[in-house]
Amino acid sequence: MRPKGFPGHVRGSVVLAIAGLVSACGGASPSTAPTTGPTVGPPAGTPSAAPTEVPPDQVTGSLVVLDWSGYEVEDFWRDFKDTYANVDVAFEFGISDADIYGKMKGGSQADVFHPYTGWLQFYVDEGLVEEIDTSKLANWDAVPDSFKALGQFNGKQYFVPWDWGFTSILYRTDHIASVDSWAVLFDEQYRGHLSMWDDGPGAVTVSSYIHGYDETAITDEQLAAIKAEWTAQAPLNLTYWASEADLIPLVEAGDVWAAYAWQGAYATALADGAPVAYANPTEGRNSWVGVYGIRAGTPNSDLALRFLDAKLGEATGNSLVNLYYYGSSNADVMAAITDETLKQAFSIDDPSILETTNFTPNLTADQRDAWTAMWEEIKASQ
Amino acid sequence: MTTGIASKPPGEATRGRRLDPRRGTFWALSIPSWLVVSLLLVGPLALMVAFSFRPDMRGALLAPFEPSLRQFEQIAESGAYLRLLGTSALMALAVATIATLAAYPVAYFLVFRAGRRAALYLVLLLVPFWTSYVLRVAAWKVMLGSDGVINTALLGLGVIGEPLDALLYNRTAVIVTLVYVWIPFASLPILAALGRIDIRLHEAAADLYASPFEQFRRVTLPLSLPGIAAAFLMVFIPTVGEYVTPLLVGGTGGSMYGNTIYSFFSRAANWPLGSALSTVMLLVTVGLVLVGLRIVRPRRLLGT
Amino acid sequence: MAIGAAARRGRTPGTAARPRRLGLPVLRGIYWLVIGLLYLPIAVLLVFSLNANTVLAFPLRGFTLEWYERLLSTPALLNAVRNSLVVAGVSSVAATALGTGVAILVSRFQFRGRSALAGLAILPLLVPYVVLAAALFVVFNALGVTLSLGTVAVAHAVVALPYTTLIILARLVAAEPQLEEAAMDLGASYPTTLRLVVLPLAAPAIAAAWITAFTVSFDEVALAVFLAGRDQTFPVYLLGQLRFAQTTPVLVAAAVLLMGGTLTLILLADRIRRRRP
Repeated sequence: MRPKGFPGHVRGSVVLAIAGLVSACGGASPSTAPTTGPTVGPPAGTPSAAPTEVPPDQVTGSLVVLDWSGYEVEDFWRDFKDTYANVDVAFEFGISDADIYGKMKGGSQADVFHPYTGWLQFYVDEGLVEEIDTSKLANWDAVPDSFKALGQFNGKQYFVPWDWGFTSILYRTDHIASVDSWAVLFDEQYRGHLSMWDDGPGAVTVSSYIHGYDETAITDEQLAAIKAEWTAQAPLNLTYWASEADLIPLVEAGDVWAAYAWQGAYATALADGAPVAYANPTEGRNSWVGVYGIRAGTPNSDLALRFLDAKLGEATGNSLVNLYYYGSSNADVMAAITDETLKQAFSIDDPSILETTNFTPNLTADQRDAWTAMWEEIKASQ
Repeated sequence: MTTGIASKPPGEATRGRRLDPRRGTFWALSIPSWLVVSLLLVGPLALMVAFSFRPDMRGALLAPFEPSLRQFEQIAESGAYLRLLGTSALMALAVATIATLAAYPVAYFLVFRAGRRAALYLVLLLVPFWTSYVLRVAAWKVMLGSDGVINTALLGLGVIGEPLDALLYNRTAVIVTLVYVWIPFASLPILAALGRIDIRLHEAAADLYASPFEQFRRVTLPLSLPGIAAAFLMVFIPTVGEYVTPLLVGGTGGSMYGNTIYSFFSRAANWPLGSALSTVMLLVTVGLVLVGLRIVRPRRLLGT
Repeated sequence: MAIGAAARRGRTPGTAARPRRLGLPVLRGIYWLVIGLLYLPIAVLLVFSLNANTVLAFPLRGFTLEWYERLLSTPALLNAVRNSLVVAGVSSVAATALGTGVAILVSRFQFRGRSALAGLAILPLLVPYVVLAAALFVVFNALGVTLSLGTVAVAHAVVALPYTTLIILARLVAAEPQLEEAAMDLGASYPTTLRLVVLPLAAPAIAAAWITAFTVSFDEVALAVFLAGRDQTFPVYLLGQLRFAQTTPVLVAAAVLLMGGTLTLILLADRIRRRRP
């Protein structure tokens, strides 16, 4: 899926989620996994130089990264910056997964790009992404197997997971006592006080959770039913939201009582003192993961690989967690966090949440076209 | 009142037989103009129309493909897109009419009443647009929202018992916002046309005992028609494809055709369908404009 | 001569002969009402830029200058503003020059393809920017053109062209060609005639066209998203930052500063102009 606004002043929430996830799902890496690699002398946590003759600080070249706005800040590639001081890194920007995909298809010369789960299949099918030789990634062992699997297609590793978070229902406790199911989004009694994310695949996902459909194999009849129910749902919304900055003021003002929301919205509203809660629906929460891939045909494969490796580094992971309060795919980073502040706020101590969390599967191009067209028709017919 | 170059005073008829002495300038102006529009506009537009015949996004974008009517079939089958186009065109008509009408007095004020500070006043009109549109609408939403200034004031004054929901997130909010945004721009062509009106015409009218209203109706207004036409076109045409304002204040019921196109590009990565929708919109809008021009008879307006 | 005097008088905005008594207070009232409505949201933004809350909502939380401080220490934002100014400056000049050329061609010459040229100049109004952006993106990449602020400026010039053309055309069409013919009869070449007669006549329209083109470019986002390459313009930066709800007030502070700076410059310019004899 797509990246979200980061939680406001909330700490450690997703961090602890990852820690829980690692232990609950039996991730292969023990929490004391060392960062291994060929010994070339760099301190632990920095990406080791793959077998080359040149020491890292004498490696030169330039790299272009297609990323979302905000990630060009050096903290988010700290490890690479510190180790490869003579490499020039420039950023190009995309504003959505569709935008990034369109740019990659349209001929972008970026070496590295940052899509989210749900959109990864297309890059593989279109031959836009290169296979990654994970033996060259010093920090690879720090990534849980379940996360590694998200970037694997046809037995090959194409993407390196980096950031992640939850999706669930954000609701005002002063208007709704409790939310147990995604179906609250269809509840007639909240007409005019609901808000859904403006996204077709997101809508299909919610329907599959509620009705128990297999998200990877939605039939035409199921899709027609989904379309009908979301067409009926449309007038129940105050408005759809496209970014968290749209949603948060509505929740805080009490105009929206329940919304499909990412964790960032919850954390921000909570920190701002709004009476909100984040649901643990019986169908399970959703989780999305951001990954990095290398453009097929780039002349800078080696540098790109080092960049990806550095992204998994501890300093970078710590920035992600401490500055944006996103989860990191580096389990060591997660395990090393001690902040307990919002453990309670996010019910992180409850492993059952994590066990029932559904990761966003990858769409095929046909599904993407069908589900987005369905959504646009729903909106066009209002 | 004759306009444009089609009319030449009598006795000048012989001039046309010699080579026009302005031909050097003609070519100097023509070449860049044609170059720019063909390379940077016609080229990409042709690409867009070509994309409309693409069955899907597979394969290299510029590689040859099997042309297919699939996208147009989908549009025709769905019906919802075309209905939305119709609604959007009507909304654009409303916006253009109201904005042009409202812009006229503004332009009039600037040309005839503002005195030496007219330039300053004109710039003051446009400067707010150098703030981000998104932020300005966010501020408006705050004012119109249930917790906002207007509702708080009305509640406080006892005029209403509960906050008004109807100010935002509907079609009316979209039209009102669009009119508000377009007035300053629409005033510009009108201003340009009004500024050229010869004072002797007004003096002549007054000498013939015309009342101020008649002066306006029979001198000022007709002479400013090119500006009014230009303003109307300038507002109507892009508004049909508008998407930012409906996105921000339209809610679920106020979305416009442009939102669908934008979504297919930036959220669905379905460029062929987005292109096909754009091609349809292009054809319909051009058609509407041509029909409209035929009705209003452009010969007098634009001197063609 | 009377014609010249009339022409000169008509040329300066605001000093055209006044058709008598058409409700000055009403007109003035309408103008200031429009101005009030335009600046009201900006006033609201100003209030929020000093508000100690990350969300743009009432009630207000308390005064703070924190957002302005953060703004000045966010190089990405400052760069984005600078980029927007540069792109808008360049593209508006290009669009105005081209628009003037097209307006002169269409209003002063008869040639085959005249309607076509006018139509093409106005055509960008018909095309949703996102579509043009995607198409230009593909074309530029295919041609090996590096995406940069330059490509954005080029695209902006194209989309501003309809505005500049329409505004200047509205002015030129209403003007009579006798002055130009008179000038040429007196021996002036056409370029000289353009320079000394037509352009000064059209000057207010050209200025209005330039400001419009600048405005169109400065706030434009769809084209900039696709064509900007490494350097973001201000609206693109804003769009990207909107995901992060915490940075909203910093963005608001930036918008307010921009507005304040521009207004100050303009009022200063007006003051200077009024001091001149």
